[in-house]
Amino acid sequence: MSLSLFLHIVNLETKKLMSYRVDFWITMAVNLVVNLVILWALWTAIFSESGSEIIGGWDLPGILSYGVMVFLTGRIVRGGDLQMTVATDIYEGALSRFLLYPRHYAFTKYAQQVGNIVPDLFQSVLMGLVALPVLGISSTTAITPLTVAMSIPTILVAHLLFFMMGLIPQYIAFWADNVWSLSVMLRFVTMLLGGAMLPLSLFPEPVQQVLHWLPFAYLFEFPTLVILGKVDFSQWLIGIGTCLLWCLAIGSLSIPVWRRGDLRYTGVGI
Amino acid sequence: MTRYLRLYIQFLKFSFSRAMEYRMDFWFRIVMDCMFYVVELIFFTILYQHTDMLGGWNYDQVLIFVSGYLVIDAIHMTVFSNNMWWLPIYVNKGDLDYYLVRPVSSLFFLSLRDFAANSFLNLLIAGGILTWSILRYPGELGAANLLWFLFLVLNGSFLFYILQMLFQIPVFWTHTNRGLLTAFFSANKLMERPDKIYSKWTRRILMTIFPALLVIALPARVLFDGPDPQMIGHIFGVTAILFLVMSAFWNLALRSYSSASS
Repeated sequence: MSLSLFLHIVNLETKKLMSYRVDFWITMAVNLVVNLVILWALWTAIFSESGSEIIGGWDLPGILSYGVMVFLTGRIVRGGDLQMTVATDIYEGALSRFLLYPRHYAFTKYAQQVGNIVPDLFQSVLMGLVALPVLGISSTTAITPLTVAMSIPTILVAHLLFFMMGLIPQYIAFWADNVWSLSVMLRFVTMLLGGAMLPLSLFPEPVQQVLHWLPFAYLFEFPTLVILGKVDFSQWLIGIGTCLLWCLAIGSLSIPVWRRGDLRYTGVGI
Repeated sequence: MTRYLRLYIQFLKFSFSRAMEYRMDFWFRIVMDCMFYVVELIFFTILYQHTDMLGGWNYDQVLIFVSGYLVIDAIHMTVFSNNMWWLPIYVNKGDLDYYLVRPVSSLFFLSLRDFAANSFLNLLIAGGILTWSILRYPGELGAANLLWFLFLVLNGSFLFYILQMLFQIPVFWTHTNRGLLTAFFSANKLMERPDKIYSKWTRRILMTIFPALLVIALPARVLFDGPDPQMIGHIFGVTAILFLVMSAFWNLALRSYSSASS
């Protein structure tokens, strides 16, 4: 695996994304404002109407911090969202070009997706600096330089897992006419079961037990809990290891799908 | 008017026959939308495990509110969504020329041409969920309230289309509207929550400048609290004004359009 080639692709992809700067800033501003308004309105209403001070192990500032942090880390993790890139390569025959490259197709695509997260990372840090000071001090969370440092590898591994999970639905494009809906389905499921919409501690206990054995929590909830200081060092190591195992398992599943699809592929007019 | 109706029937025939060409995608899209419905319903069900009321509504009321939103989303996906997808592509590739020279309103043609037949099945499913949530409602809703609600849901779908168009039309000048559209879809989340959770000033903004609450939250209030003439007048007034603004904006955009092929 060539690191310089990988970094070169990352650099190219970042530059491509940054060429639409108005889009970049509009998206950032609106996303931040809308998410803060909804988070604030929803959770203040729930805490006030339920009369509880702690819900699912969170106080109001804590759950607001969770909402903000899961949104910010989620943006980076979802930078691995392939959307339709692989399927488009297959449909339009652009895959032929990648097949001639000296590196595996998935390697090139992953490097491109890492390039996608650089602007997201920049936006997330900026948004965090604006949003977090206004949320108040929570008794249920503790963001420290150590938790921020621990969250960086966690987010990167979560990004890899998200990329791996997106590969198989995209490879289905070798057989199906349109796989856009499969990718969107995957996004719905991961957002809900990964804790991007709500902390998983709010789910009923039996559901939490089931989710513990699935990979979704490592996408959004785990990196957020790490940054909020709710995961100790040993839990962090176990979490990272489990996430890497899921990457390996899902990556292994994608290999036979790729091989079979590759045999079916015909690039016309290249 | 009859000419437009006949034209729309042709759009429908063409869309259904085309949808059946890609059968796997047809079913994928139906499952995808069903999954969206399930996720929305689960989200509120989990919230109500921790509170009895949200924005003054109990679980039964919020189910009707969410189902109403799902119906509006399904109408949008069926009638407008594909057309919204194609519009920036037509503008940037110069394909808009073909639609501008036709002897019908370009806005009508470009907004309604592509009917999503697969989403039509989802519209039936969303309608079923709404019917179920209304039938299981333990209180008395009243026929007049219900009729007003259904009428306002249709108005909400139209308003949703107008709002999206207002975010689409700048593509005539900017050539990429990815940022604006992402912003629009992000702002949509504001309409998926009960209106009373927002503070006074936020509600004012969401009822006038970006009237997201008029799409489904206020129609649901009409259903539960009865038809308030002032509220209904406000909903129709804002919709009419925004439609006029959108039409003027569309005409202005067409004047700025320079075909890519000319």
